[in-house]
Amino acid sequence: MGRMKFLCDIERCIDCSGCVVACKEGHHIPVGVNRRRVITINQGKPGEKSISVSCMHCADAPCIAVCPTDAIYQRDDGIVLVSKDTCIGCGYCFMACPFGAPQFPSGQVFGARGAMDKCTFCAGGPEETFSVKEQKLYGQNRIAEGKVPLCAAMCATKALLAGDADEVADVYRERVFKRGSGTNAWGWDKAYKKK
Amino acid sequence: MKKLILPGCILFWAMAGLAIAQSQGQLLTSFGPGPSTAAFHEINGLFTGDWQQYGQLFTSLQANIFSQIFLLVVTVVPLIFFLHYIIIGPMKFSHEGRQIYYFNLLSRCIHWCAAISFALLVITGLLTIFGSLVGGGVLLRSGRTVHLISAVTFSGSALFMLFIWAKDMIIAPYDFLWMLKIGGYLSKENKTVPAGRFNAGQKSWFWLATLGGTVMAVTGYFLYSFQGNTDTLRLSAIIHNFLGAAMVTVFIIHLYMSLFAIKGAIRSMISGYKPEAELKILHPRFKI
Repeated sequence: MGRMKFLCDIERCIDCSGCVVACKEGHHIPVGVNRRRVITINQGKPGEKSISVSCMHCADAPCIAVCPTDAIYQRDDGIVLVSKDTCIGCGYCFMACPFGAPQFPSGQVFGARGAMDKCTFCAGGPEETFSVKEQKLYGQNRIAEGKVPLCAAMCATKALLAGDADEVADVYRERVFKRGSGTNAWGWDKAYKKK
Repeated sequence: MKKLILPGCILFWAMAGLAIAQSQGQLLTSFGPGPSTAAFHEINGLFTGDWQQYGQLFTSLQANIFSQIFLLVVTVVPLIFFLHYIIIGPMKFSHEGRQIYYFNLLSRCIHWCAAISFALLVITGLLTIFGSLVGGGVLLRSGRTVHLISAVTFSGSALFMLFIWAKDMIIAPYDFLWMLKIGGYLSKENKTVPAGRFNAGQKSWFWLATLGGTVMAVTGYFLYSFQGNTDTLRLSAIIHNFLGAAMVTVFIIHLYMSLFAIKGAIRSMISGYKPEAELKILHPRFKI
């Protein structure tokens, strides 16, 4: 079986935040929870680069290691999912995660955090596939429908790639070959500074 | 006037052209391709931060160490006391004879408030740590609420305890002697141990519960409310767990002492009276 992966091509990402909106809207994610976000460096300066970040679906994920209730698990295809019925909202996964992927809805009794919510790679959750409960708790299950995740599907510049790791790596490698790097790279110098 | 416009325009464009030409080299080359690896390096610093410092520490501690420490605490400590009970046996004092009023009603009330809330804190805390055995879900989510309410109750009671007992709990030189003798609990005979109104063991428990309790309350506040940055939360979780293990250990010791190690010791916290025979041996410096 393949291994699912996200890859964001920072040479293509234009910080349109379409992926964030698509994810939030497509899964009806509550206010205050962002499964995906875009980070920009050197904003407004030369060398500006943006990257879209969500759960990395790590191999040997630290969130799975620290969860006291074993609510987080990894599928055979590498997708890391959470069972919201088991999660107690302790927040340990947030502290363990290097990417800040686990998010918590607020507004429970005594200001407690609700069950953890994070990127599902559009693969739903532990509930029965396409069930109403799965839709309500985790959002769409596009993987079961044979589609790529919403964010990657709508990415206008195709900066965000999602799918089987080998396929994603192939697409990215071809791109890097084509556009070159260093002095051979595309850009102003190549276009206008011909020797 | 008209003669001036043309040369003025020429001069202006010449100046502007010169300025652009001068800045062009620097401006345009900086839009050229920089290495992606350098950009990724910068991005990493932004969104993973110094994960290696406390994130990794917290992950490895929480993944393996904490649950093992607590498992040791709840198995080995009671086992040691079980062996102590079998081999050395409890201290027995005559409950006949003169009874001395030791704990007034207020201190008993505060004690039981603190005791019940602390017991709930220990139970719900341990449930969370061994959550995978319970299966998480609604039970543990309610456990967290109970943990919060108990924590607030205990903080209040601990503050009162500090007011009514702090002056009796000041550490005295003879307390070290008591510690060296381990309170006489390792001998089968009832020998006199140096202690005032409270012995060194009770004093350590008191200061751990009040001062340690304050640290637990502060770190617990961070963990519950998620205030502060991620490193603060990680450090809070580490401190909360280690100190929690220490407090659970001493809590079990306290339970054993009052329920089993000294026969009938718990009655003094219910009625308020202690037998004189017990005081003469265990609290000889207490002025009746």
